[in-house]
Amino acid sequence: MKKLLGIFGLLVAVFALTSIANPQFVSAYNLQNLIRWTSLFGIISIGAAFVIITGGIDLSIGSTIGLVGSMMAWLLTQKGWGVGPTLAAVMLCSLAIGLAHGLLITKMRLQPFVVTLCGLLLYRGIARFLTDDQSQGFGNSHDTLRQLAIGKLPISGGFALPAPLFILLGIAALAAVFLNLTVAGRHLLALGRNETAARFSGIRTDTLKIVAYVLCSGLAGVGGILFSLDLNSIQPSGLGEFYELYAIAAAVLGGCSLRGGEGTITGVIIGTAVMRVLYNAINILGIPTHLEFAIIGAVILAGVMTDEWVKRFAARRRAARERAEGATA
Amino acid sequence: MSPYPSSNGTASSVAPLLEVRRISKRFPGVHALKEVSLRLHAGEVLAVIGENGAGKSTLMKILAGVQEADSGEFLVEGRPERVDSVRTASRLGIALIHQELSLADNLDVGSNLFLGREPRRGVFLDRARQNREAAEALARVGLDCSPETPIALLSQGRQQLVEIARAVNSGARVIIMDEPTSSLSQGETDRLYSVVRDLKSRGVGVIYISHRLGEVTTLADRVTVLRDGQNAGELARGGINHDAMVRLMVGRDLVRHHRPARGQGEPVLDVRSLRTLAHPGREVSFSVAPGEIVGIAGLVGAGRTEVLRAVFGIDAVVGGEIRVAGTRVPTASPREAIEHGLALVPEDRKHQGVFLEMAVGANTTLASLGHRARWGFIRGNTERQRAAELIAQLDVRPPNPDQTAQFLSGGNQQKVVLAKWLALKPRVLLLDEPTRGVDVGAKQEIYRLMEELAERGVAIVFVSSELEEILRMSDRTLVMHEGRISGTLSREELSEEAVMHLATGGPATR
Amino acid sequence: MTSTLSFRSLLTAALLLLIPTAGCKQSSEPTAAAKPDGAAPATTGGKKKKIAYVTNGVDPFWNTATAGVRAAEKEFGVECEVLMPPKGIVDQKRMVEGLLARGIDGVAISPIDAKNQVGLIDAIAERCPVITHDSDAPDSKRLCFIGMDNYNAGRAAGRLVKEALPKGGKVMLFVGRLEQLNAQQRRQGVIDEVLGRPVPAAGKLSYDPPGKSLSAGAYTVVDTRTDNFDYSRAKANAQDAMASIPDLDCMVGLFAYNAPQCLEAAREAGKLGRIKIVSFDEANAVLEGIRDGHVHGTISQQPYYYGYHSVRILKGLANGDKSVLPANGFQEVPTVEVRRANVDQFWTDLKKMQAAGQ
Repeated sequence: MKKLLGIFGLLVAVFALTSIANPQFVSAYNLQNLIRWTSLFGIISIGAAFVIITGGIDLSIGSTIGLVGSMMAWLLTQKGWGVGPTLAAVMLCSLAIGLAHGLLITKMRLQPFVVTLCGLLLYRGIARFLTDDQSQGFGNSHDTLRQLAIGKLPISGGFALPAPLFILLGIAALAAVFLNLTVAGRHLLALGRNETAARFSGIRTDTLKIVAYVLCSGLAGVGGILFSLDLNSIQPSGLGEFYELYAIAAAVLGGCSLRGGEGTITGVIIGTAVMRVLYNAINILGIPTHLEFAIIGAVILAGVMTDEWVKRFAARRRAARERAEGATA
Repeated sequence: MSPYPSSNGTASSVAPLLEVRRISKRFPGVHALKEVSLRLHAGEVLAVIGENGAGKSTLMKILAGVQEADSGEFLVEGRPERVDSVRTASRLGIALIHQELSLADNLDVGSNLFLGREPRRGVFLDRARQNREAAEALARVGLDCSPETPIALLSQGRQQLVEIARAVNSGARVIIMDEPTSSLSQGETDRLYSVVRDLKSRGVGVIYISHRLGEVTTLADRVTVLRDGQNAGELARGGINHDAMVRLMVGRDLVRHHRPARGQGEPVLDVRSLRTLAHPGREVSFSVAPGEIVGIAGLVGAGRTEVLRAVFGIDAVVGGEIRVAGTRVPTASPREAIEHGLALVPEDRKHQGVFLEMAVGANTTLASLGHRARWGFIRGNTERQRAAELIAQLDVRPPNPDQTAQFLSGGNQQKVVLAKWLALKPRVLLLDEPTRGVDVGAKQEIYRLMEELAERGVAIVFVSSELEEILRMSDRTLVMHEGRISGTLSREELSEEAVMHLATGGPATR
Repeated sequence: MTSTLSFRSLLTAALLLLIPTAGCKQSSEPTAAAKPDGAAPATTGGKKKKIAYVTNGVDPFWNTATAGVRAAEKEFGVECEVLMPPKGIVDQKRMVEGLLARGIDGVAISPIDAKNQVGLIDAIAERCPVITHDSDAPDSKRLCFIGMDNYNAGRAAGRLVKEALPKGGKVMLFVGRLEQLNAQQRRQGVIDEVLGRPVPAAGKLSYDPPGKSLSAGAYTVVDTRTDNFDYSRAKANAQDAMASIPDLDCMVGLFAYNAPQCLEAAREAGKLGRIKIVSFDEANAVLEGIRDGHVHGTISQQPYYYGYHSVRILKGLANGDKSVLPANGFQEVPTVEVRRANVDQFWTDLKKMQAAGQ
């Protein structure tokens, strides 16, 4: 948990500064929006984290979201499928994507970067082909289903918790339990740290990697469903574009190492929150939109640098202490 | 204690090449070096020995400028110098050859030799000159390869020679070698000896750190022994022998065991006509009884590691079968091997054995987690308890399950790998170079563990390049040469000469 | 071996799963690019001329334009390829280059960045007749421009804003990109009208950079938010505007998809009807919103006629007939103001137009 202090500090700092500059930032309405966006992006970031923990990468998250979102709206409104079969079909599709990634990476020994980069192009293309590149929407139908994304649970004082928050919390809890309390989770961390040693220890490294990619694409699928329900207007060429970068950035901000073997679910959620709070703060403070990338880039870089400093300082102290202990032993 | 032994008759009257006097180094809470002195003359091989934690590494780091001493004098050819960086040390002609090779294995030999000092023509690399000079430098260390050979294609031993060539080439007059032979075959070790002798004849001073006391006996002109961060004594040429060194290192006499061969009854491991990918044309067959310790000796490249890897299912096999207690073990799956009671402590500890960034406790329980889990969930208390037991059983130091493994010494890391397997209670334990890079004290503990396990009926197969280890541990010795077993030696037949005879391809003596 | 086998069969299975969905899709609805040749209209004999209609992005707006293209295709007996670059300038350039490489008899293009795409348009002009639609590039060698006067359309939207807020109030503008000339002109039209500025002389358009709040009388134009065609950004922009300015009175969506996202955000915030929405174009959600009284009104540019006139003029040019060119090189397509009163009629007409294109 100590590792999360830096990023948590950044979150608190941005939060505090923005709310001082414009009290509307902490209005119930804005906080609800913030929580909803964080939840939606948090779900896909958890998926990205699993893959990153194995030392891999998934660049196709955004395209998977686009494909699942477009496919869902297309099946529901154009093909007249029922809600159940549609959800089953799009979830199966996203899981199959993950399975394909995993198999290509472990059995054919292709590089994750290449496999998922091709996926990025492929799924976007399929989404646009299926829908004839036409925007999809649910109109006023499927309002019940849309509650998954836009529903709210009222708490006191006009404040309501958005539905995606509960989905995120459920997924995060399962993910955290999997990663920290199960044998497979421990093996996944070990595999990310040292794949050879893991294989030598009898760990099913290939199976675990496949599981990680399936989880990642599956969560991207859940994200795709929720994003499209939330927006109610899905552009097959645009939905989810660049979201893989947001997911990867959030995971890395939250303490996942791109070298693998490191990461916590709490960290990933805090990382996502930082990204969303930054976007929100820029709008709330009335900073021109065209400056947003520059500001987000600079703030994240500053945060990561501070974090690295703190870590190095701690590591140096610990190393000195342990070397000293080793010398006496 | 006298900080500096009186000079003996052979020392020349000129100032030593390198001398440190009453060097001390403190780390927070610890006195790593206490007034240690050392001197090295031109054309001398000085061996520095001592158990891990005796202060050898700290001393060498100070000599090479990696760390700076808190107090004490540093003299180069009699002139006091302040050596505060590797750059300064290198300017003064001091080079350290690390235990872990520090070559860029994506570059070729010549580029490595000149890394950072590339010959140029303007902004361009002068490749012709680099190759020309590299070839000369390689010839000097007796390495017969083209400067354009990629480093990755060289054996570890040859890479070591490249490192030495680099040091010599940079004009080093003091070369510090830290465990240079730990990964070398016998032939490569011999080559290294002749390079060291050649360096000596050209007036270079060599500081030689090794756990292999046989080597020290052969090579050293003088031995400085460290114990607990202090000078424990010094041996001159005539007084260098195994027992004397061990006495100074551990401060007591070593007991040598003489014992009958162990291992009785039906073989638990039976390897029949095994053909490995490395030597698909050769067949290897052997069996091991419960409680028996079988050593596999041979030169590097004889196919010993490949046999262990094939038995454990890491590499696919070309042919043959492996049975444990009569049951055939499916090949090419470490999982299956583990299910059948096999365990492997691999050769390359850092890459294949231990999870450096993971906690010691998690390392020890990793392979057995599944067996102790309930519905796939780790049982936290059971795991912690089990880790503590294993750490205590193997005497891992420090005995802290939450510490990350990277801060342990090599010997303790090896114990962690052993603990991982002992948690599974294997029937057959395979060990590949079990004491590589491990200090004398930890070596004894690993031997003791092997013996304990054998007494409990575990069949043990170990590969070793150290003849001493083979002589001491093996109940039966298989000697390999070019992918096949060229001979089997019983405890009575076992001798250094017999092993070397078979390992170099000589006909069986019986 | 076994693992390779099972892997291969899995991959095959995955591919097989995809093919039937793709296949049945194709049979039910032909794609925009591959128009069936049935019902051949009055061709003038010889090979059909091939022309292309290039949009500036993917949007429902362009679907209506495509309907006009299809209607004109039949009427004038040409074959027209509709290209919608999904990723902005680079994609548009790539598509145009592809067209020129394949050979084409005429191109109608909506330049994304008029000033900097002069070179691209001139490159087309070297090979075949080129005209612009929707957004003009007056410095290029395009033969004419089909579209509305974006500034005037902006002023029309501004009038809708004033109509919705007779007592004044705070207005926020939303747009995909501000690099586009049509977006700039439209935005300026809204700002000038709302703030009661006079109509400037032709070619003397002022430009208020975004990021500054502008007030005159009872009206304040707080800012303009861009989203780079990312719908979720568009929605978040609307939400953030409502959060940071609790007394925001009106949101104006300058691009077709902006107002639907504003509408979604307002619905979730429970501010339907309280916050006025003014739109451009005729997305279904907007027309529904107008009917339900949640959107005050929209300015329709009649994109149907962009497509229709583009094909008509290009057909003539491809056959060497210069008489099809409009005077002054500007074929104006008048805008239509859609309010609650006329929305039903407008929608019916729109559907008819679209059906004609199918």
